[in-house]
This record gives sequence, C-alpha cells and structure tokens, in this order.
Amino acid sequence: MKQRMNLYVLKTGDLSLVEFVNSVANSFDKNIIDNNGWLVILKGLEITLFISITALLAGTIIGALLCSMRISKVGALKISAKIVIAFLRGSPVLLLLMVFYYVVFANSRFDAVFIAIIAFALNSGAHIAEIMRSALSAVDVRQLEAARMLGFSKIRAFMAITLPQATRIAKPVYQSATINLVQWTSVVGYVSITDLTRTVNNIGARTGDPFFALFFGILIYLAISYMVNFIFSLQGRKKITL
Amino acid sequence: MIRTVNLYKRFGELTVFSDLNIHIQKGECVAVIGPSGTGKSVLFRTLALLERPDGGQVFINGKEITGRDVNINNIREKFGMVYQGFHLFSHLNVLDNITLAPLKVKKVDRKEARERAMELLSMVGLSEKFSSFPHQLSGGQQQRVAIARSLAMDPDIILFDEPTSALDPSMTGEVLAIIRKLARSGLTMMISTHEMGFAQDVASRVIYMDEKGIYEEGLAEQIFNNPQREKTRMFIRKLKVFSYSIISRGFDMVSMNVQIEMFCQKYNIELKKINHIQLVLEELILEVLAGLYTDVQPQIEFTVEFSEERGEILITFNCKGREFNPFENKDDADHLGIILISGISKKISHNYSNGLNTININI
Repeated sequence: MKQRMNLYVLKTGDLSLVEFVNSVANSFDKNIIDNNGWLVILKGLEITLFISITALLAGTIIGALLCSMRISKVGALKISAKIVIAFLRGSPVLLLLMVFYYVVFANSRFDAVFIAIIAFALNSGAHIAEIMRSALSAVDVRQLEAARMLGFSKIRAFMAITLPQATRIAKPVYQSATINLVQWTSVVGYVSITDLTRTVNNIGARTGDPFFALFFGILIYLAISYMVNFIFSLQGRKKITL
Repeated sequence: MIRTVNLYKRFGELTVFSDLNIHIQKGECVAVIGPSGTGKSVLFRTLALLERPDGGQVFINGKEITGRDVNINNIREKFGMVYQGFHLFSHLNVLDNITLAPLKVKKVDRKEARERAMELLSMVGLSEKFSSFPHQLSGGQQQRVAIARSLAMDPDIILFDEPTSALDPSMTGEVLAIIRKLARSGLTMMISTHEMGFAQDVASRVIYMDEKGIYEEGLAEQIFNNPQREKTRMFIRKLKVFSYSIISRGFDMVSMNVQIEMFCQKYNIELKKINHIQLVLEELILEVLAGLYTDVQPQIEFTVEFSEERGEILITFNCKGREFNPFENKDDADHLGIILISGISKKISHNYSNGLNTININI
C-alpha cells in the first residue's frame, strides 16, 4: 500500500490525496484497531441487534394481540386496545424508556437491556397493530365469503385467504417499521446501556477524533438497514416460486 | 331438493321478502328474474346461510339446515356460488384457486385434485391459463375460473348470482355458453339474471320476484310468452307506462300534451309517433265530451304503454258512463277525428262492461 502510494506521488507530485488517505488510515488505526476498539464496537453492535430483534419479535406478538383486540366485536376490548395504541403511538419512545427505567422499574433488579426491550416492544407493538389492522381491512371480504361457500370454516378461511393476502400487503410497511426500530434503539444510551451508538461515541471522545468514529457508526447502521431489506426480499422471492 | 317454507328476511325495518316458498327439484334450472333491489341476491345468500333468515326454514334433500345444531360448513360444501364480482383468491394462481378447497376441505389427494382441476379448466376453455393469476385474466375468463372453482367441490346445486352483470357485452357470451352447457348436463342450478333471452333459453322454470316475495312463477315459456300478472308483463315486455285521468271539462289539455311528450322523449320515441299519440287522445277526449250532456262531468282515464322490447305503443282508454263506441259508424263526416284515428292506428278494439267503456288502440 505504502509503496504504491509512493509510486503515485512520484508520478504526479500530488500530495493532497496522499495526505487524505494517510489521515483516514491513521484515524482507522487510532479508533478501530488501537486498544481493540473494534471488539468494543462489536460488543455494542451485539447489544443493538439483541435489543432490536427481541423487541421486534415481542412487538409483533403484542401487535397481533392488540390488533385482534382492536378488531374484536367486544366493545370493552376494542376501546381499551384503542386507548393503549393511541397512548403508545403518541408518546416518544425515549420518554417511555425513561419512565420505565427511572420510575416503573426503578426499584426492581431488572437489567437495563430487559427494560429497553419492554419499552421498544410496546412502542413497536402499537405501530405493528395498526399496520396489521390496515392490512386486514384491505383484504377483499368477499373472497373470504367465497371460501366459506366452498366449505371452509371461519378460522381456516382466514388462514388460507385473508392471512396470506394481508401479510403481503403489510410487508413493506412492516419492513420500514423494523428499520425504524433498529434506529430508534440508538437512544438506549440514555439509560446506561452501551449499545452501538454509545460505543462509537465513547471511542470518539477518547481518541479525540469523533468525526471518524461517529461516521463509522452510521455506516454500520446503514449496513444493518441493507441487511434487513435483503432478508425481507428473500422472503418475497420464496413466495413467488411457491 | 331445495325447499323453503315461509322464508322471511329483513334488514332492520326493511322487509326484503316474506312467506317465500320455493321448491327446486334435482336437475332443474331455475331463473330468478325481477327488477333490481327485489331481493334476488339476498335470497341466494339466505339459501346458502350467508345471511341468517329471520323466519322460516330451508330444507336440503329433506333435511332442515336452518336448525341450530347443523354444521354449516358441511352444508355449504353442497352449494356452489358464482358471484357477480367473481371473487377469485387474488394471491393464488388459477390452478390453486380451483384445487384449494378440494385439498383443504375435502382432503383430496394432490394429484387427483390437479387432474380434476385441469379437466374443469378444459371444460371452461382455459387449459393454457392454469398458471396465470386472477389479475392477469379478463372478466369473462375470471368468471369461467370461478365457475370451475365451484364445480371442483362437486356441489349439489350452484347458485349463479348475476354472473354476467359485471361483464361487458363482449364477454357475457363465453360465460353464458358455459352455464348453458352445465344446464344441459343436468346440474341443478338457480340463476339470477337480467339477460332475459338467456333466461328464457336456459331455464326450465322462472321465478319473478317483486313486492317482497315471489310475484309470479311458472314454466319459462309461460312467464315469457304469456305472463299472467301486471308487473311481470311490464317487466318482461320492458313496458313503460304513462297514465293520466280527466275528471272535469275544464282540464288542461296543453299540460297533458306536454306530459305525454316528456314521457315519450324519455324513451326515445320518434316525433311522428308522439304527434300521433297526442292526436289520437285529443280526438278521443273531444269525442267523449261531445257525446256527454253538458251538465255531466267526464270520467276518463287513459294509459300509454310503450314496449321497449317490441317498440309498440298501446293506448288504453277508459271512460265511465253509458255505452259509447265512436268507431261504430266510421264514415260519418261529422266525426272527422274518428277517421283520423282509424287512419293512424294499427288495431282498434272496443269493449263495454259494468258501465265502463274500454278502448284499446295500437299505434
């Protein structure tokens, strides 16, 4: 690498590019390699991914529950679901997280990560409930009726007709909700969790080169988003060949 | 095979039909006709228990299905339903649309279900479309797939709920041809339709629904060629009726003529005929008035019927009082109007009974 650079300088006499590349390499060494910075970042990434994935799974279950309450014919269930969803969607997730951490679970021994998962699961659950509800209402009810006419029971007709169609309708919105969730987890530093954002911030503060460290963090979040999109596109491809 | 006893259905305050009794034999093809909103669709949906009847019973093969302890899902397997809007499963291709119910409800073997589906597809002429998705097909093709889908369950009876109403005229033919073929093969079916020619052709029996129930029913030939009741006749012949009554000498003839003209223009009757109608009526009224004593008020009612189907106009003229036939002495020079009327009309008839003169004039 250095030899090549030297060759380039000899040929062109241009030093500005060399200086830039050198400074980037230098920053990389300082932030990522020295003191095993990359291991720390990896640890933070792990926390971020763990919170995101668990919160997403729990949120989906909560969402399904809230959604089924919201569309049920029992008035009490419907209204309580409506209120819960409105509250959770309307309050900033960071405040929700802080309320849980400093008030609700202040005297409990729960791990901060666990509390974060609860907060994010509830918040994304409310969003997912609405995503599911809109998807379900977009499915043609007459197709369900046609299935009933062919002898399907209510539940089996729902499983065979409504669910696959609703899933297909909900997918793009669900996908962006997932990416949203991952990015919102970057605020867990407020409750003393050392996630990806917190680690790159710490490293930047320590090395006195915050720009590089933070920018590196953004690149990792970007990579996660692409990863999510890729995983969702895999699922779509499978559907068509089936 | 299907029998209803005093079937009753209402939506809130609105009674759709009451005391409805039908009896459909195996192998019959029954057409249900009638103006929109008389409950044809609701009847079908009620038979299949998609709507709960508010009273009465439905029997299939002698077994009551409106009872409490009946498994509706098993009963519905015996019904096929073809909708106005097709309602194919939009996330499945044509073949899966047809095999879904046999596989999941009847638990037929996959290979067998596919073979049967391909057989049905070739019957409806869509063999090469088996892997297409519903949105890739035309309306007529979708409806043919929908027919195949309901046939795949081997139903005892198929209910066709206005199967061609959502199709444009170029596609109705292909769907009607298949229904015709099924009727000939002896499948029991009920069809609600606005295609009168088709109904007459395919149905063995016709039910005319109006006034919250069955208004008239009978053999297809009888209903179409010789309907007994007023509304049936008006519906079958596509009659449009204008009626007017005169109870005073000082009636407003100008207003009457304007109303007649407006009625005629609504149904696109040619100007010459409108003039003829007005002329005939004017002359008749004047003739009646001239024949009365001056202190007697006239009691005249007339209707103008226009048959869209045949393009014919029939004037029915009633007047109460003593017998009066203006056409008795035709060559009377004093009654120029009568000569005029005779010249215009195709056919004139007169009848007197119970103090009522009835004159029918075809133009």
